[in-house]
Amino acid sequence: MASPSRTTIRIGNPGLGAAGAVSTIVCVLFVGIPVAALLLRAAQQDGLLASLTSGVAITALRLSVLTSLACMAIILVAGTPFAYVLARGKSPLLRVLDSLVELPIVLPPVVAGVAMLMAFGRNGVLGPSLEAVGISLPFTSAAVIFAQLFVAAPFYIRSAKLGFQSVLREYEDISQTLGVSPWSTFWRLTLPLAGPSIVTGIALAWARALSEFGATIMFAGNLMGETQTMPLAIMTAIETSLDLALALSVLLLVVAVCILTGLGLASRRSWQSRS
Amino acid sequence: MSRGWVSLHRSGFNLDASWEIEPGQVLVLFGPSGAGKTTTLRSIAGLERPQRGHIEIGGRVVFDDSSSVWVAPHRRRVGYLTQQTHLFPHLNVVQNIAYSLPRSQRRGTEPRVRKLISDLRLEGLETRRTWELSGGEQQRVGLARALASAPSLLLLDEPFSSLDSELRRALRRELRSMLAESPVPVLLVTHDREEALALGDAVQVLEGGKVTATGLPLDVLGQPGQGEVARLVGVENLLRLTVSARNSRDGTMVCEGGGISLEVPLRDISASQGEACHGPEPVTVGVRSSDIIVASREPEASSARNRLQGTVVSVELRPPGYEVTLDCGTELRCHITGRALAEMNIVPGQRLWAVFKASSCFLVSEIPAGTQAPGPPDAGDTQ
Repeated sequence: MASPSRTTIRIGNPGLGAAGAVSTIVCVLFVGIPVAALLLRAAQQDGLLASLTSGVAITALRLSVLTSLACMAIILVAGTPFAYVLARGKSPLLRVLDSLVELPIVLPPVVAGVAMLMAFGRNGVLGPSLEAVGISLPFTSAAVIFAQLFVAAPFYIRSAKLGFQSVLREYEDISQTLGVSPWSTFWRLTLPLAGPSIVTGIALAWARALSEFGATIMFAGNLMGETQTMPLAIMTAIETSLDLALALSVLLLVVAVCILTGLGLASRRSWQSRS
Repeated sequence: MSRGWVSLHRSGFNLDASWEIEPGQVLVLFGPSGAGKTTTLRSIAGLERPQRGHIEIGGRVVFDDSSSVWVAPHRRRVGYLTQQTHLFPHLNVVQNIAYSLPRSQRRGTEPRVRKLISDLRLEGLETRRTWELSGGEQQRVGLARALASAPSLLLLDEPFSSLDSELRRALRRELRSMLAESPVPVLLVTHDREEALALGDAVQVLEGGKVTATGLPLDVLGQPGQGEVARLVGVENLLRLTVSARNSRDGTMVCEGGGISLEVPLRDISASQGEACHGPEPVTVGVRSSDIIVASREPEASSARNRLQGTVVSVELRPPGYEVTLDCGTELRCHITGRALAEMNIVPGQRLWAVFKASSCFLVSEIPAGTQAPGPPDAGDTQ
């Protein structure tokens, strides 16, 4: 990616130069103004620090972090082999699955929440059977994780699949002829080579899980300490206290930026500076 | 012994190949692209599964359809090097070479890894990234990586064909002297005649999925033709001699010139020139430097027919060994290992014996300049 000269930027079509500049400014401002406004207003608040350390904020943050971490752990363990199969498999069934995986990305989260209620809710398809064995999902922290899984997993699986597809089969072939078992080959060769895409997938899925709102409120409800994650807490707070809503928003923003930067750094490998 | 046969059918393509390689031998699988050479190699490596067949590597059966034997690729102990090399991009040179070793031996300090690095002249490149290497260096690293796993069979799939011809020759020379020292049998796929002649102990021609000829490289692919071609192929010793006697019972003839006399395999040269010609016939005899044994005393009872005494003119480093030039009247180049050099304490001026079998000699037909070299081989009809 490193260009020989960093001082000059060459644009292929000079006629697009003006349009490109305008477009850049518009895009930057469109994202920049609201974020700047949020930070500005938050800074003007007197009770910001008090709000940040309030019970509501701490509880919501802890719940958000714990549920999203659990969600990411499940996605990594359950999603990675699936992503590999999708990348390598040739059967027509897998091609169908491949397009179905992305369904939750285009599905409105609220609809996802309704769908999960219909599946696992008290009157859902599986609800009575689950209840019979003593499991009640809706309106629990587990339901929060379910909702996050449903909407976030596709982002990871899609990105990991593209990562695995970019690893030439020939590398895996050579590795095996060198006496390295398929399992070790995966850990020592395929995973490191697909690493950047996998980290990107983690970042996308994690960000999506942290910001999850629609499916959570539908399926898990809004119980403080139990199912009230950061986005739900912000939504609740804005009706009563702008201070708290602003504080929570800044907090969520900071967490999201930290995760993205951390993972962004992790995904940069020296060997990728090729070409 | 590594041998086997495979029968594989796939949408419009039928492959029926068989092979047999003695320890230390190089079998060349020669043929046009699309003939099934790569598929054969991949079947041996276990990367393709033929419908029918029987594959033995170093005497061990790794595939047999009739008794449902299937050994996974990572348990077959083959080294596999392809044209694209496919060095692992996330590892540096030494990590690539040591990839097949157990975790504790992967730091590149192992004697085996060090030896490969020095044999293949990769010193100083250990921590380089693979994309910083030239094409020739990449192939040498690929070869080192394949050899580090101590394979029972080395599979080379057109390993040098993406390199320019000068580099290809240099690498070929290196590969040949490395192979001369190792007992690992090699199956080399190529569609390059020069390469087949330079490296092969035996050649098998594969065309349209069928073996159409098998035999010695010179018999199957024809003689290197012009002396120039033989020189390009990398035959170090080309001796201009004249035939002085024929011994048809032994299948040999005696050739003399330049103060030496050699026994070489009998071949009816005059027949190719139409009329039987009388008087001394000029011939060019080729001997590979790696086929010559250097001895400090004349071997008393030896089956080797050719024993020449000479003075050491020079000793040159020619990795992974040394090239000793002996003046026996005519200069002879012999390739020996570093240990042999040290043990025999060879220095210029020393008197030594060069010993080689009659069958190590082959005739190179000198064709007047401007005449076409023999065309592509056709099913071994040169005999």
